Amino acid sequence: MNGPLLAVSGLSKHYRRAGKMVAAADDVAFDIQPGQTLALAGPSGSGKSTIARLVLRLIEPDAGNIRFEDADFLALGGAALRARRARLQMVFQDPLAAFNPRATVARVLDDPLRIHGIAERSERPRRIAALLERVGLPTELAQRAIHEISGGQRQRVAIARAIATKPSLIVLDEAVSALDVSVRGKILELLLDLQREEGIAYLFISHDLGVVRAIAHRVAILDGGRIAESGDARAVIDVPRSAIGKALVAAAPKLPAPARTAS
Amino acid sequence: MSAIRRFLRVPEATAGAFILALLLAMALLAPLLFPGDPQAIAGAPLLPPFHDWSLPLGTDRLGRDVLAELFHGARTSLAVGLAAAAAALLIGAVVGTLAGFAGGLVDEVLMRVTDAFQTVPGFLLALAFVSVVGPSLGVVVAAIALGTWTGPARVARAEVLSIRERDYVAGARVIGMHPLEIAFREILPNALPPVLALSSVIVAAAILTEAALSFLGLGDPNRVTWGGMIAEGRTVLRTAPFLSIVPGIALVLTVLGVYLAGEGVVETTATRRGLS
Ligand SMILES: Nc1ncnc2c1ncn2[C@@H]1O[C@H](COP(=O)(O)OP(=O)(O)OP(=O)(O)O)[C@@H](O)[C@H]1O
Ligand SMILES: [Mg+2]
Repeated sequence: MNGPLLAVSGLSKHYRRAGKMVAAADDVAFDIQPGQTLALAGPSGSGKSTIARLVLRLIEPDAGNIRFEDADFLALGGAALRARRARLQMVFQDPLAAFNPRATVARVLDDPLRIHGIAERSERPRRIAALLERVGLPTELAQRAIHEISGGQRQRVAIARAIATKPSLIVLDEAVSALDVSVRGKILELLLDLQREEGIAYLFISHDLGVVRAIAHRVAILDGGRIAESGDARAVIDVPRSAIGKALVAAAPKLPAPARTAS
Repeated sequence: MSAIRRFLRVPEATAGAFILALLLAMALLAPLLFPGDPQAIAGAPLLPPFHDWSLPLGTDRLGRDVLAELFHGARTSLAVGLAAAAAALLIGAVVGTLAGFAGGLVDEVLMRVTDAFQTVPGFLLALAFVSVVGPSLGVVVAAIALGTWTGPARVARAEVLSIRERDYVAGARVIGMHPLEIAFREILPNALPPVLALSSVIVAAAILTEAALSFLGLGDPNRVTWGGMIAEGRTVLRTAPFLSIVPGIALVLTVLGVYLAGEGVVETTATRRGLS
């Protein structure tokens, strides 16, 4: 691949509310390089989740282009789109809502392996065990129901499911926001680990600038569906130039020391 | 185990379950207790009940054993009631799920079809269907299902509309699951509880509709049915009222039993949900 992994331009999505059109995403443009993390930050309602859903083709844009792995991602449909989805995965904020309430851990991990023909039926239990180990979970967890494991474990299962198809990009929409601080640190470490070893890129959505500064290479700050400023994560957060960037930094609790060592 | 105990703590549920158990026993034991054709002549015609202990409920106009007919009729009523309700719930759940999940034109078309079926009274539909196709057990089941699937379809659609917005459905799309698998494997099972809550009302209605069809002579002619027995007795209503009263009481008790047991199940699951 010679271009960026993901290139978004002119992306717009409007919603009609009380007769007026509200821009949830307005002429948004950004790139993500292979193996890199772009964070989307911004106040509530600034359009972060909308952009995540557009990029994943869960909703369709009013206008714009999305190029993913050197192909027009918006031109795909039906079986071609479903097949390509193996390369572009997502982790949701609420790990309980993200799974079928009747599912077991094994079934949750079996689905992507089956759908994308990654492993024969007889080989899948071994694959599932390997995935669980990869995200730091005991393999016995496979037989449990999703509601029988803790929130932190559930988010690890969500990550295991996301990496099951060997994606090149994972969208994480507030993926650590619902976890308490100690668990959050461990999950962030796991994500950094996976990125280092598998070269996965992240589109990392968070309102927590401390977390963004620790995990992201670049950041885009959103305001009312528009990108107010973007650039190197530390540079932007240390010296924000836009009004919304300044307000977010001022509102953030004291930022912890960066976890990512300069590379 | 504890669910059964909770269920039995609801008095009307216990009564309903008792009646249903009795009915089931009648249906299962009919061929053992009354082997042979229940429509065969067993004694003198119009023998009143409690006179001859080999024919405890007496005989009808043609001299057939009323008790044997009652037991064999329980088989028909239960079989038709359960089969018709199962068919109605299945059709309703599938149509409702497709409409709710697909949305757009598919939803529009399916719901107009549902409307069309709903505006025609279910009994009239069943009547027309049986008169055209001819009476047999399968046709009667289909005819009853034809008039009752719309309720489950609407409930299933409403439930699917709310479930399809959940994150886990988006998650299923993200991993590339086929839309039909999402609809029927991920969404439908979670949309079922409120649909199944309708089953007692539907079973009760199906049993009554079957009886009404048989009463009008549109039941399966090769089977004894309670509706047919009532119709038979009608011609001698003045002189031998018991011939209509006995199957009538059986019918009322059955519908009551189904209804009470159904209420009991709804109440038990409701308290369980309230507790958790
Ligand atoms: N389905 C929808 N219908 C109407 N308006 C919507 C819809 N989804 C989002 N919006 C609106 O679009 C805007 C952006 O919403 P979005 O969920 O993307 O914000 P967000 O940045 O993710 O916020 P949060 O931090 O609270 O999650 C909001 O004003 C929201 O009300
Ligand atoms: Mg959001």
